[in-house]
Amino acid sequence: MDRREFIEQVAAWSAGTCLAVPLFDVRAVLAAEERPKGKPLVVVVKGKDYEALVDKVLKPLGGMAAFVNQGDRVVVKPNIGFDRRPEQAATTHPDVVKAVVRQCLDAGARRVLVFDRPVNDARRSYARSGIKEAVESIDDSRVRCEYVKNRDFVPVKIADGKSLDEFDFHRDALPPECDCYINVPVAKHHCQAKLTLGLKNVMGVIGGNRGLIHRDLPRRIADLNLVIRPKLTIIDATRILLRHGPTGGKLEDVKVLDTLIASADTVAADAYATTLFGEKPDYLGSTVAAAKLGLGEMDLSKVKIITP
Amino acid sequence: MLVLFLWLFRRTEYTGADQLAGGENLFFRLDPLSAAAAMLAARQFIALFWPALIVLALTIVLGRFFCGWICPLGTLLDYFHRLLRPIARRTNRFCSTAALGCERETAASTMPTKAQPGATVLQKARRLHSARYILLIVVLLAAVFSFPLVGFVDPLALLTRGMTLWGDPTLHRGVDAGLEWLDGRWGTEAVEPFVGKHLIPFRATVFRLAGVSAAILAAIFALELVARRFWCRNCCPLGAMLGLLGRWSLVRRLPAEICKPCGDCAELCRMDALGDGLSAEDCILCMDCVDLCPKGIAKFVVKRSKRQPRPVDLSRRGALAGMAVGAAIPGLAAAAQMIRPRKDDPYLLRPPGVGDENTFLDLCVRCGECMKVCPTGVLQPAVLESGIEGIFSPRLMFRHVFEQTYCEYTCTLCGQVCPSGAIPRLTEAAKLRRPIGLAYFDHLRCLPWGEGTPCIRCEEMCPVPEKAIKILNTFTIKDADGFELEIQQPYVDRYLCVGCGICESNCPVEGPSAIRVQRLGSPNPGTEVMLKPRDGPKIQPDSTPASPSGRP
Repeated sequence: MDRREFIEQVAAWSAGTCLAVPLFDVRAVLAAEERPKGKPLVVVVKGKDYEALVDKVLKPLGGMAAFVNQGDRVVVKPNIGFDRRPEQAATTHPDVVKAVVRQCLDAGARRVLVFDRPVNDARRSYARSGIKEAVESIDDSRVRCEYVKNRDFVPVKIADGKSLDEFDFHRDALPPECDCYINVPVAKHHCQAKLTLGLKNVMGVIGGNRGLIHRDLPRRIADLNLVIRPKLTIIDATRILLRHGPTGGKLEDVKVLDTLIASADTVAADAYATTLFGEKPDYLGSTVAAAKLGLGEMDLSKVKIITP
Repeated sequence: MLVLFLWLFRRTEYTGADQLAGGENLFFRLDPLSAAAAMLAARQFIALFWPALIVLALTIVLGRFFCGWICPLGTLLDYFHRLLRPIARRTNRFCSTAALGCERETAASTMPTKAQPGATVLQKARRLHSARYILLIVVLLAAVFSFPLVGFVDPLALLTRGMTLWGDPTLHRGVDAGLEWLDGRWGTEAVEPFVGKHLIPFRATVFRLAGVSAAILAAIFALELVARRFWCRNCCPLGAMLGLLGRWSLVRRLPAEICKPCGDCAELCRMDALGDGLSAEDCILCMDCVDLCPKGIAKFVVKRSKRQPRPVDLSRRGALAGMAVGAAIPGLAAAAQMIRPRKDDPYLLRPPGVGDENTFLDLCVRCGECMKVCPTGVLQPAVLESGIEGIFSPRLMFRHVFEQTYCEYTCTLCGQVCPSGAIPRLTEAAKLRRPIGLAYFDHLRCLPWGEGTPCIRCEEMCPVPEKAIKILNTFTIKDADGFELEIQQPYVDRYLCVGCGICESNCPVEGPSAIRVQRLGSPNPGTEVMLKPRDGPKIQPDSTPASPSGRP
């Protein structure tokens, strides 16, 4: 091979490689999901056995089969945001996550992904929250609890956004990669947002600079929820963080409630969960903004609350 | 041994436990040169280095076995050489065939005559033998004057640093790019978790001085073109040290002289240790000569040599020059500082638990293990921020061109891997009692303070259970659309702040953060006049020796 031949080949190969890169449409097509008619249901249950509690909270909603169909690709999104232990109430309880994942598998899910984009080091957060261990203890090849990678995020247009036009989202949490998104947040204090519940939990599937969201937190959280529409939200209030959230760390700030809240309507679930902290639903700007966008019902008098 | 080294290197990472299994820094603790230099510089016995004593004892008995059987750099150089051989045979261009070990064929076809083209190169290379002794003298003498040079020439430090700063991030990026391209096709989805877990590092930190580290390493490998194990023969001060200790070793090759007219072994010896009779300072007990001796004469025996060892390849002039340089470097560096005084950089933050800067620099052997293990990649090598003697020493950088990161609140891994104790081994509680620094707001740039935009990202992130960032004022303003925005203006509780820098790394302000962590005791930027009056420290003073700078 002489020099000329080499240059020619390099040129040919580079041209080929450049042209071969698939130009994929990054704008996810979002099927506008119709909200079910009638009063939204919110189920509230109490109990010490958190795995059994998940069963109990889903029963009035028709069980997991009402949300997960045979062969669905499911995303279970807990809060694994921080390098904290379960009893510190900064992350979703591992038993709750495990029970939800197991329910999805029993309902016939083809694949269940459990992930979050933690604030702290992902390995530490996954390990210390106990969630990775709990999920992997199920030992089913359909379940994966993996760390997110930068290349997982794709930009998505937010057509009706009030404060955001576009943001990066995890592609596995979006259709067509995801048939059923199950939101499993933990209920806790948050200084700027007041509380972090179901709507704010979407912060864990977005990429890019999350600090930008904080410039107009309530409306931007609502805007993000235009893209991620959970079929089911289970708020973990087995123990709640009353102060110094969202990180917490002091056990004096934790109150054990042994409660789970489930609803197909994230806004209604958030509205109810707010009352656990002794506040009215309009205490949270994000709930108000989301209700305005038509994402759900925040007026608890128009919600059917079931406490079996 | 190379496999062990690579395995330990890969293991030097956060794997889910707060305590590492131990032994990740084994190779450094075996290294008598690092041990000697750190102990001389810090003027204390460092018990962590006890494995080095075993190496010293074994060297006195066995000779320079470390270089042939343990040193991972030496092994890598040998592999690299094997890689080079076919190329060299084909091109015969860059170097002499003799230097590349093709002499076996030449020796077989033509009688070995000293008129081979490589002979001159070899002879020249041989003459550099004294360089390693001079380097050794320079390093040790500079250490006596508390000027740490060992990290620049210690083979293990050079190798580990090159792999940490350049090799690992490159490996991660390369493999990751490949996996991204494959995108789970052809069954690669199944291997992805395995690759991610065992073969590549978890994150690809962009390190400063990565290019420099890689270039130094590349130069050492390139010297292989001049002569086999050129670095080990001529430059390595650790090899020099072990060679001197092993001069009277009991394990010897026989015959000590090469047999005329064959002399194949002298040509083949990767260390050129058989030039005119066996030189124990050079022999690394690789046993090549035993394997390759055409007549099966060569063997190693345990025997006290009656012969007086050959004189060391070091002239009096060389020794004196080494001593002069070793003594002069610290003085010159000090003089350089007098001409251009080193700024007391308030942002030069050292790893958790490190107290006095000078003691730290004396103890640190620049191995790069802490930067390797750091799960967040916040540890970066210093360039010139603490003078020439501080190059490659670890510092925290929360925000630079490529990264925004922080020190994990409860992580104590850097202290666990430090082979010399420069970074103390701390418990979680002890780490939190010794702040890395203290955060200060830049009120003009902070969004709620400077422009009335809601944002207390720093408060949200703060890992201190009581929150070291608190809210001073809360009020609402209306934006252009009449939408009510709640503004919370934060301040730092200096008695709670641990200086982890998560606020600095997460601040949404572009460019330098609006909240920055400064070294304890560094000049106060004068922003805290607006802060609430404080009612005294809420943290109990440390019962263990506190950091010398203390609370501000």
